[in-house]
Amino acid sequence: MHNPIREKRLLDITEAEDLEQLRSIREREQSRLATELSTSPAYAVMESLNELHDTLITQAIRLAENDLARLGHGAPPVPYTYMLYGSGGRYEQTLYSDQDSGLVYADVSNEVEEERCRIYFPLFAATVVQYLIALGYPPCEGSVIASNPEWCLSLRGWKKKIDSWFAEPSWENVRYLLIAADGRALSGDKVLADKFKDQIYNDMLDRPVIARRLMENTIRHKVLVGVFGQLLTERYGEEAGSLDIKYGAYIPMVNAFRLLAMQAGIRDTSTLSRIEALKQANVLSEDEAMEASDAFVFFLKLRLLATGTHEDGQLIGTGKISSKQLTKEMKIPLKQALKAGAKIQRRVQRELQHRFGGR
Amino acid sequence: MIKKSLVALGALLVLFPTIAFAEDPSANQLNMGINALWVMLAAILVLLMQGGFILLEAGSTRMKNAGHVAGKTIFTLGLASIVYWAVGYGFAFGGDASDSLNKFIGLGNFFFNPEIASVDNALPSSVFFVFQLAFAAVSLSIAWGGFAERAKLSAYLIFTLFFVSVIYPVIAHWIWGGGWLAKDGAQDFAGSTVVHLTGAIGALAATILLKPRIGKFNKDGSANEILGHNQVFTALAVLILWVGWFGFNAGSTIAIGDGFFGFVAFNTQLGAAAGAVAALLISWLVNGKADITTMLNGALAGLVAITASCAFVDPWAAVVIGLVAGVLVFFSAKFFEKIKVDDPIFALSVHGAAGVWGTLANGLFATEELSQKVGIGKAGLFEGGGWGQLWVQFESVVVCGAFAFVASFIVLWVVKKAIGFRVTEEQEIIGLDLSEHGNYGYPEQMKKAGTSV
Repeated sequence: MHNPIREKRLLDITEAEDLEQLRSIREREQSRLATELSTSPAYAVMESLNELHDTLITQAIRLAENDLARLGHGAPPVPYTYMLYGSGGRYEQTLYSDQDSGLVYADVSNEVEEERCRIYFPLFAATVVQYLIALGYPPCEGSVIASNPEWCLSLRGWKKKIDSWFAEPSWENVRYLLIAADGRALSGDKVLADKFKDQIYNDMLDRPVIARRLMENTIRHKVLVGVFGQLLTERYGEEAGSLDIKYGAYIPMVNAFRLLAMQAGIRDTSTLSRIEALKQANVLSEDEAMEASDAFVFFLKLRLLATGTHEDGQLIGTGKISSKQLTKEMKIPLKQALKAGAKIQRRVQRELQHRFGGR
Repeated sequence: MIKKSLVALGALLVLFPTIAFAEDPSANQLNMGINALWVMLAAILVLLMQGGFILLEAGSTRMKNAGHVAGKTIFTLGLASIVYWAVGYGFAFGGDASDSLNKFIGLGNFFFNPEIASVDNALPSSVFFVFQLAFAAVSLSIAWGGFAERAKLSAYLIFTLFFVSVIYPVIAHWIWGGGWLAKDGAQDFAGSTVVHLTGAIGALAATILLKPRIGKFNKDGSANEILGHNQVFTALAVLILWVGWFGFNAGSTIAIGDGFFGFVAFNTQLGAAAGAVAALLISWLVNGKADITTMLNGALAGLVAITASCAFVDPWAAVVIGLVAGVLVFFSAKFFEKIKVDDPIFALSVHGAAGVWGTLANGLFATEELSQKVGIGKAGLFEGGGWGQLWVQFESVVVCGAFAFVASFIVLWVVKKAIGFRVTEEQEIIGLDLSEHGNYGYPEQMKKAGTSV
């Protein structure tokens, strides 16, 4: 698997000395990948794109660490891990993804060290977030971001927080649990990430009823296909005729498989590996898994094609496929994929409702 | 004080019966009285439908126009009453025209001066007038749907003059006043064509000449949704109209008679119900979301459609007519949006498309028994009457629609050329409450929000 373009790309990034270089690499490589989309399979482009994002973010973290040391703040006082959530956590970022992140640092034994951590890590996280904004990653609108003190905690702090989510499964807390389930360690000490995940999955298994709350939290986004198999496109506005591929196809699938995976104690975060693991665990049949991953790969591709815009230097995706892009040839597989998505969504709902009783 | 009242009451009790029963009324007189009371009650109900139109139109439009939209309905109701009294009623029901002229227009009874009481125990002409006037006013209010949010107040005034004096009365005469369509046996019991289609066609002419509201369509041809400011008003409006419709349809029996009005009311309820149900379901199936506006339009479309046929069809057919109307109104609204006709209150779909359907439905579902009972036309296609009645219905829709369109278009075109039909862009943006009347309907909200609502 010798791929010179890829190796050059990764080398360029790890050798980049400042943000400007990184930004120009990002722009160059993204436009290269965007053109590859017409020739290569979507999941391959997705893979390369996410590797690109991971490497860029890792390098930005390294630069932040170095810059803080140079400014006299020293090295990180204890091991930490920088976590990605959302599409980053699922290894499903597009060309326009925003930052969903958090930070976990190791527990310390004395007050002095604790104080040092409380000063260092918020500063560090804020620096990383700033650097990433400079690279064109807009911050998360819902404030799920490492620079938010709520998402930058010691392992002990996280344990307390996650316990409180389980203790009080309000709409907001359940949403946090769903976000945390997609968490993936990007850099630093990955053992910390495993312990973080233990907290979620152990409690999940202790309290099966939480699964229903998780489902109720995600049921809102329906697959945009009507009873006659018709596409439910936007009806009004500049985007009339476009299909919201993000919330009408991709997110419902993500939600369904996250839920099944969490139920089965599967810790993979990418949807495709969740489907594969669910098949291994006999939750999904061979056919179901095949149908689901085909549909999902198709949605990933459309998501990459979805229109995006530049806003104040940030790359922002609308998550919608425009009516012009919705050609006749595309509509047939799209409808098929949406029907598969709707089927799995119904199945998850039925199963969970059956298990825990209706309302 | 109490003592005085008791004494007075006692005195009245002693006196009153002797006065009331001074002369026993005849059976005919009682019959007349009951009929008159029923038609008067129906007239009141139909007049009350204006309250429905006020809420329907205001709720479906934006806050900045609310006072104008609501207030102009009362103003034009006043103007229409005077015009109908002076001219309109004479053209619709006047009996002085020669036989050949009477086919096309009635003459006489201008500046109508009714007898002060019933003559020969017939329905008092004053009651009949009030009832007919209420219908004319409904038709006029339907037309306003096409004017909404952008027409000048002066255009409302001028259109009222022509619509209520000539356009509506001519069609009413053709079908109800002994005109040529009445002679052909056109079945339009309470006015799917006369009232609803005529009004809707007026709205169509207006909305074509006015062009869409600012912001309704984008450069690329896509439509924007301009939501009404109060869906609760719109829903309440539909209920008021629905209840008022019992006066509209059941009152059109013009008599208590053998109780036939009950059957008419019964069919009316079924048609409206089916329209509401069908519209909600079709919007749910097609758009993935059950749309409230569509459902409300469906109830009205069911009512509009059953208006022509309520006295001519069996109950099962009333349900079918309502169901079809509910589905039709949904696709009709989509169609008008697609061809970029801005129809803010959905008048074209609710009163136009459903009015046409309701009229044609008689040609399909009218039964022989009921046609004979009403004494107009014959059975429809599915009831063994062949194509004849359907053709007559089709003819009446086309001819009345064409006449109403041409006449309304000419009036409004002249208005447009002579004094201007539409307010300026600035006036439209700040809202007609301020531009036409100088005050907001919702002063607190509007001043806070500035001019951009």
